[in-house]
Amino acid sequence: MGLLTNLKDSISRVTDGLFAAEEPKRIGIYGPPNAGKTTLANRIARDWTGDAVGPESHIPHETRRARRKENVEIERNGRTVTIDIVDTPGVTTKVDYKEFLDHDIEKEDAVRRSREATEGVAEAMHWLREDVDGVIYVLDSTTDPFTQVNTMLIGIIESQDLPVLILANKTDLPGTDVKQIANAFPQHETIPLSALEGENMDEVYTKIAEYFG
Amino acid sequence: MPHQCTECGRTFPDGSKEMLSGCPDCGGNKFQFKPNGVDDENAVAADPTGSTEPPTPTDSTEPRGSTDPKPTRSEPKPTPSEPKPTQSEPKPTAERSASSERVSDIDNEDTAQASARSDVVSPDELDRASQEVPPAADESAEPGSGSDPDSGQRPGIDDLRDELNAQFESIRIVSPGKYELNLMELYDRQEYIISLQEDGRYVIEMPDAWGVNDE
Repeated sequence: MGLLTNLKDSISRVTDGLFAAEEPKRIGIYGPPNAGKTTLANRIARDWTGDAVGPESHIPHETRRARRKENVEIERNGRTVTIDIVDTPGVTTKVDYKEFLDHDIEKEDAVRRSREATEGVAEAMHWLREDVDGVIYVLDSTTDPFTQVNTMLIGIIESQDLPVLILANKTDLPGTDVKQIANAFPQHETIPLSALEGENMDEVYTKIAEYFG
Repeated sequence: MPHQCTECGRTFPDGSKEMLSGCPDCGGNKFQFKPNGVDDENAVAADPTGSTEPPTPTDSTEPRGSTDPKPTRSEPKPTPSEPKPTQSEPKPTAERSASSERVSDIDNEDTAQASARSDVVSPDELDRASQEVPPAADESAEPGSGSDPDSGQRPGIDDLRDELNAQFESIRIVSPGKYELNLMELYDRQEYIISLQEDGRYVIEMPDAWGVNDE
C-alpha cells in the first residue's frame, strides 16, 4: 500500500504542478508610432529581467517587427505576475518614406524602412487578432489622442473584450496633457508615466498586475 | 488568372478564394502575381498567325487528322495574311498550356498566364526577394519574365501597382515607399501579408501554415 500511496502522491504532485504553471499572459504594447512603446517595453524588461527588448529611437517606425520578451515576472503586493511582453510596430494608416528623410536617412534606405514599417503594421494587426491576451496602449501625452488610429484600435480591443491599460507617456515633456487622454477614452483608466525617466512606474506595475494578473 | 503557386505551378483566377488556405494541390503558400495582359504585346508578336483565338491546351494533344491533313508543327507560317488562323499550329503558348494539367477554366486563358506558368520563381529567388528589393529596380521591374527586351511596350509600373491594389485593399501602394493601410481590413484577414514587393510579388502567411512548427 505504501508503494501505491507514494505513486499516487507523485502523480498528484505532477498534475498539480502542471495546472499551477499557468501560461503567462501575452501582453501587446500597442499605440501610434513614436509614442514610446519600445522605451516602455525596455523599461519593464530591464526592471524585471535585466535585458532590453529592442533599440529605442526618435525616428518613427524604428520597431518594424514585433519583438517579444518572455516570462517577465512582476512582483506586486506579495504576489508574482508572469507576462510575455510583445513590443509592436507603431500602428498608422499611412507610411511615407519622406518621414525618414528628415532624419538623415538616404532615400533608398527610407523606402526600404517604409516598406518594412508597412509590413510591421500588418503584423501588429495580425497579432492583435490572434495572439494577444491583453493590451497596454501607449499614447504620447503631448499630442492629440483623438485620431482615427487610436479610436479604431481601442474599438477593436474593446470588441475583443481584451483587458486594456491606457498609458499617457512622456509626462516629462513640456506640453503634456494627461487629462486630454483621459477625456478621449473615459471608459478606461489612464495612467500617466514617463517611460524614459521611469516616473510613476510603480503605479504602472501595480496596474499591470491588477489588469493582467 | 494572375496568381500562380510557386511550388506546383497551379494558377488561380483573379480574386480566387481557393488560394487563401494554401494551394489545394500541394499546400504551398507562396504565390506569384502576374497581372493579366502583361506580356500581351510580345506574345502577339511571337504568334505568326496573329490569331486572336485563345490557345487551348487540347490543341496539341487532340488528334485532328480529319480536319487538318497537314500537320504544320515544324513549319510555322509567318504570313499575317493567313486566311485561316484556326488550324492547330502549336504556338509556343499553347505548348506551355498543354504542359499544365490543371487548367480549369481555359476560357480565361491568355498569354500572360501561359507565360506565368512556364516562368516559375525559384525558391532561392523568392527568398532573396522577400529580404531585399533593390529600390533602383523598383521603377522598371516587371513581374515574371525578365527576358523581355521590348521594354518600351510593357505596361508601366503604375498599371501593375493598380492591379496589386485591386488585390489588396488592405494595403495600397501609392508609390514606392508610400503606403496607405486599411487597418480594419488588415485586422479582419485571417492570413496576413508578411512581405511586400514593389514588382508585384508578395508573400502571405497562410492560416494552414501556422502551428506547423509548434511544439
